[in-house]
This record gives sequence, C-alpha cells and structure tokens, in this order.
Amino acid sequence: MISCQAVRRAFGDFTAVDNLTFEVARGAICSLLGPNGAGKSTTIRVLTGLLPLTGGEAQVGGHDVEAELTALRRCIGVVPDDLGLFDSLTVAEHLSLTAAVHGLDARTARRRSEQLLDALDLERATDKFISACSHGMRKKTALAIALLPNPRVLFLDEPFEGVDPVTSRTICNLLQQAAERETTILLTTHSLALAQSIATQFVVMLDGRLVWNAMATEVDGSLEQQYFDLVGPIAAREVDWLGWRRY
Amino acid sequence: MRRDQRSVFAFTGSSFFILSVVVMMDAGLFVYLLIAMVAIIPLSTDPSQKIPGSRLGCWPLSRGELWILRMASPWVNPMTWVLATLVIAVGAGRMTIGLWLFVAAIVVGGLAVSSIPKPLEHAVLRRVPGFPGIFGQLIRKDLRQILSILDVYLAGLLSGFTAVVRLSGIDIPSDGLMVLTALVVLALSSYTLSLFALDVPAGLSRYRLLPLRGWQSLVSKDLSVLLVSVPLLVPLQPVPGIGATLVALSIGHRSSIGTPRMQSPWRFSRGVSFFPLGLVHAIGIVSASAMISHHGTLLLVPCLAGWGWSIVHYGKAIERGAAWLDAHPSGRASSGTA
Repeated sequence: MISCQAVRRAFGDFTAVDNLTFEVARGAICSLLGPNGAGKSTTIRVLTGLLPLTGGEAQVGGHDVEAELTALRRCIGVVPDDLGLFDSLTVAEHLSLTAAVHGLDARTARRRSEQLLDALDLERATDKFISACSHGMRKKTALAIALLPNPRVLFLDEPFEGVDPVTSRTICNLLQQAAERETTILLTTHSLALAQSIATQFVVMLDGRLVWNAMATEVDGSLEQQYFDLVGPIAAREVDWLGWRRY
Repeated sequence: MRRDQRSVFAFTGSSFFILSVVVMMDAGLFVYLLIAMVAIIPLSTDPSQKIPGSRLGCWPLSRGELWILRMASPWVNPMTWVLATLVIAVGAGRMTIGLWLFVAAIVVGGLAVSSIPKPLEHAVLRRVPGFPGIFGQLIRKDLRQILSILDVYLAGLLSGFTAVVRLSGIDIPSDGLMVLTALVVLALSSYTLSLFALDVPAGLSRYRLLPLRGWQSLVSKDLSVLLVSVPLLVPLQPVPGIGATLVALSIGHRSSIGTPRMQSPWRFSRGVSFFPLGLVHAIGIVSASAMISHHGTLLLVPCLAGWGWSIVHYGKAIERGAAWLDAHPSGRASSGTA
C-alpha cells in the first residue's frame, strides 16, 4: 500500500532523506521513529505529495506520488507537521470544506462530522476560529479532517503531540479500528510507549537513513531499549548552574 | 517600531501608490491623504496585541502598566512622527480645517477600532456568508482574508467618496470615472499579485492536500476577489472595472504561485518590485479600464479569454508544483524539524 524505493529528498546541499526503502502492507500501522532531524516529517511530506522527490520512486495506494497527485490526494488523509489549517475558518467549516471537496453528500458529512467531533472531544470548539484554538484543538481538528473522507491511507505526523491522555487513547482506538478495516497508517511519534501499543511495524530513521525496519512481532523485549541501542545512549551531561541550591 | 515601519512603508511597493505619484503628482493630495489615513490605523493598534498572548502573559506587567503601554505606544513610536510630518508637509496650506479634523477623526477612530477585542473581530468575520458548492468554504475563507488587509479599505474609501459625490448631484466626467475605476482596481491589485500570501505557511499545505485541480484553486481565489471588487465598482464604471480586475488577476497569477510571500493581516498587501511586473500589471489594469470605457463592453471578451488562459496555464503550474513547493517556507523548515 505504501512503497518507497531509494527515496531521496535534498534541500540544496543538505540531504534530509537518503536512499530510503521500505514498504507498508495494507491494514498495517507503521510507526516511523527517530530523533529530531532524522527525516521523518520530510518522508511524510514526500509521500503525501507535499514535497517533490529528489530521487527514487514512491507509490501510495497504487498511485505514483509525483505523477498522480490528484488521485493520490483522493485516497489519503494527512495530518502534516504544520497541521495545514486555515486561521480564518472555524473547526466546523474545515470539516465542511473537506466534505465538499471529497464529494461527500450532506447527510454523510453531517453524520461523520458529528461522530468525529464527539470522539475527539471537539464539540465545544466547533464554532471557534482556528486562530482562537489551542494547539491540542488544532491537532484534533487536523486529525478530524484527515479521518472524515475515510481514506485508504493515513499519514499522521506526531498525532499525539499536545493532545491530552484521554484523547490520545481515543485516537489510538480509532486508528486500530481503521486498521482492522484495512486502512493503512504511517505515523511518526516520539512516544515509544504509544508506538509499541498500536504499531504493527517500526521503521527507525537516523540522519535521513533507515536504520531499522521490523514487524512488531520481531521486537524482542522493550521497544525503548531497542530504540536507544539504535539511536545512541542518553547523554549524561551536567549543567552546573541549574537549580537553586548550590552543591 | 520595526513592525510599524513595515506596515507604513508596505504601500510604497504597491502599483497603486507608485502610479498615483507618477501620474497625479500634486493633484494626488486626496489619494495620499487616503493612504496616510489607512496606514495610520495599524500604527495605532494596541502594541500588546502584536505579542503572542502566551508570551505577554509571562511578562511581569500589571493591567495598569499594560494600559499605559497601549496609550503611550503610538506617541513614542518614531513612525507616528515621520508620518505626521509627511502629512503636514504635503497638506500644509492646501487642506481645510475640516480635512484636518477628518484626519484626526480617522486616527482616533483607528485607536477605537484597534480596541475591538478579538472575539468581536471574529464575530464580524463570522458574518461573511457561506456559499454552496465545493468552493463555498474556500471562498468564505478568502473573503475573510481579503477583509483583513488594508487595500480593500483604501479602495472602499475611494469608492465611497465617489458614491457620495455622485449622489450629491455632482457630475463626474466619464474620463474621470474611468481614472477612479482604474485607481480602485489598482488599490486592490497588490493582493492579486500574492493571492496565497495569507495562507502561508500552513494553508499552502492544505491547498496541496485538497483533491482539487490547480485551476480550481485559482478560480476559488479569483471569485473571492471579484466578489469584493464588484460592489466597490458599482458607483464607478462596473464593466471596465471588472475587465481591469480580470487583467489584474491574469497577470497576478504568475507571481502568486511563483513566489508566495507571507502577509500579515491588517497591513497593506506586500507588492512585487515595480519593474517589470508591477509596471506591466499597472499598465494592463489602466489599459483595460480605458479601452473598455472608450470602446465598449465587447472588449470584456478578450479580458475573459485572457483570464481563462491564465487560469488553465497557471493551474497546470500549481499541479506541477515544483516552484510553488520549493518556495514553501515550511517545505524548507521540514528539513530541520523532521
């Protein structure tokens, strides 16, 4: 369902994603892991057509991410790193816009919107302008927009960041439900515990390169330990002036 | 101060201002006055509103200190004095007491309007109606965006004053009306050179993710501009004005998708460099307005045809995407935030 072959994306002299090759099967939840600057968000932007490839090939839902952009956009739901929201529209208007451009009829759009607003605890924010929403509300709005057309493939960049624990769990449940019904999901997260609780596949990136690609069943022991072994030890540096009491 | 400097001098890059100075020179006093009045409004806004709420909340300032800051800010800002000196230098000996009082009223009005809290501003923008169809919410968004830039109020003042003059029974010759029509379109023209500026950065991502063809994105933007410009053109010459607006949009598509600039609300639109694109843009607007005014409505047809070609051509450019995306700030940023 998602296929990357030697994908490369460079910004001038800087190569953000280098020779990335991996596949995600239909109905899988793949967690893209790695430290800040590893190339996770750039990978999502490339796979969703937000950035052109510098090299390699990528297909999503059977569509080439460069040659079939409109067809690609019809089959994917995305929470990009910048959330992609308009400050001058309300939460409800974003949902209405998404329903209209995806060709949902009014009744279906209303039913789905109501369920998503309820599930994501956004009901009280429905008529708020995005510019007046908290970061968590914006994140949930972006997620609702991504889910509303019931896409075949979901790309979620940090869906749990800035979201309260109850909603995080709700999002996990929604994603698991979608995956059971054969929606393919690629998400990035820094929460290894959440990743281990829902993902069926892990891809770890470091400095733009893939360093580990494994199914959840292949993970021996804790994901956290595995991750630290791959990415490097925790720095034990001291900031000698920090804290009120001198010692 | 730096923000205010940008907002005050933003209009110096607009085709409207440059053409007014070049063509009207001394006779353009009224136009300069309008520009000064509209420019002074962002100057008199609450400085504390320009600081993110979370940051302001962390500063150790009491409510009284914030009030003093707000009241004192315009008067300790050198830009206020620069602007006041310019207005006095241009207007001395040529402005009546009534006009001076009018300018003072606008400044005080600007202060009062800037005190309108965000929820009230939102309540006003909420009244922008929705439209049916797949473009409905996009048009609503664009109308709200257009209403939050100062260009439209400058055009509105020109149009409003013309309406008042005509309603009071004073006859304006056809050529005079044509010039005023071109000026109203010129006042809106900088926005047509940067249609996506208020969507940068996050909104551009959403445009890229919507399953719309490139021409559809452009049509929704252009319809919004026409919905604003047509009512403003009613007291003037509507058909030449619509033709000139179509020409402005057709020429503006190139820079709108080629070099999307970031734009702050409640400022003048940031124009492009006057030579060559700004000049071509201004000549196109004035020519279309004059030709249709002198030779008849039929000349609207080539304006429409040119606009249609521009929509298709630059719509394809959006779908090809490369220039648009490489200029996308968040595209660059993603290399650092991934």
